[in-house]
Amino acid sequence: MSLTFCIIFASACGVVLMRNPIHSALCLIVNLVAVAGIFAQLEAHFLAMVQIIVYAGAIMVLVVFVIMLLNAKQEEGSYSTWLIGLLAVVSGFIFVDMVGPLLSEGFPQSASATDPTVGTVEAIGRVLYTKYLFPFEAASILIMVGVVGALMLAKTDKGKQG
Amino acid sequence: MDPVSHYLILSALMFTIGAIGFVVRRNAIVAFMCIELMLNAVNVSFVALSRHVGGLDGEIAVFFVMVVAAAEAAIGLAIVISLFRTLRSVETSDAAGLRL
Repeated sequence: MSLTFCIIFASACGVVLMRNPIHSALCLIVNLVAVAGIFAQLEAHFLAMVQIIVYAGAIMVLVVFVIMLLNAKQEEGSYSTWLIGLLAVVSGFIFVDMVGPLLSEGFPQSASATDPTVGTVEAIGRVLYTKYLFPFEAASILIMVGVVGALMLAKTDKGKQG
Repeated sequence: MDPVSHYLILSALMFTIGAIGFVVRRNAIVAFMCIELMLNAVNVSFVALSRHVGGLDGEIAVFFVMVVAAAEAAIGLAIVISLFRTLRSVETSDAAGLRL
């Protein structure tokens, strides 16, 4: 468990700290696969597989493809010290605000015993197609709008002649 | 400490790193990747809490977050491409005008 946590922390820092965008993308892929490992530890096997296929597969391939297409260069120049200091203070406050209550009060114990069938494809599919049927259909419309919108944004007028 | 607290602290850490990266980095693609990092941090806490409570609703929420992230990836990268086409740059500081 702690090894996965260390991988996630290190690769998340890598995403932010690497100067070359392609190195950031590779760090993010490592991060996403490690998060899939976390999902598997939490017995959400369906989500672990979807995480690897959708995030580490489809989305990151798209990102790496765009980096290749735009030939993005390394970031140059340094950042002003006061900006980094201000950010460190603000983000520290946010982090302590999120984590503080957990550390001081702890977390309430779970009421129900863990059920081994929760998190399988069958259980998720059953809930998705009964209780969450309308959001599921709305999600498919959202994806379709996304595809058409991406086409509209990325197409060029030159394409009409060729 | 309860095991679920570990996952929540990890999630908070990931979210904070993503938020810092989104503000600090000037490359639009890296800023986009930091958004993915933040979405993933939220996903981790969703799954951990869903496991803790013993229901499936949290995992369904993660499923929909992934759907939105996929749509966002398609639209966001198309915006980055059209930004590059007009400005010849993917730096967010260069996209300062209201009109392209």
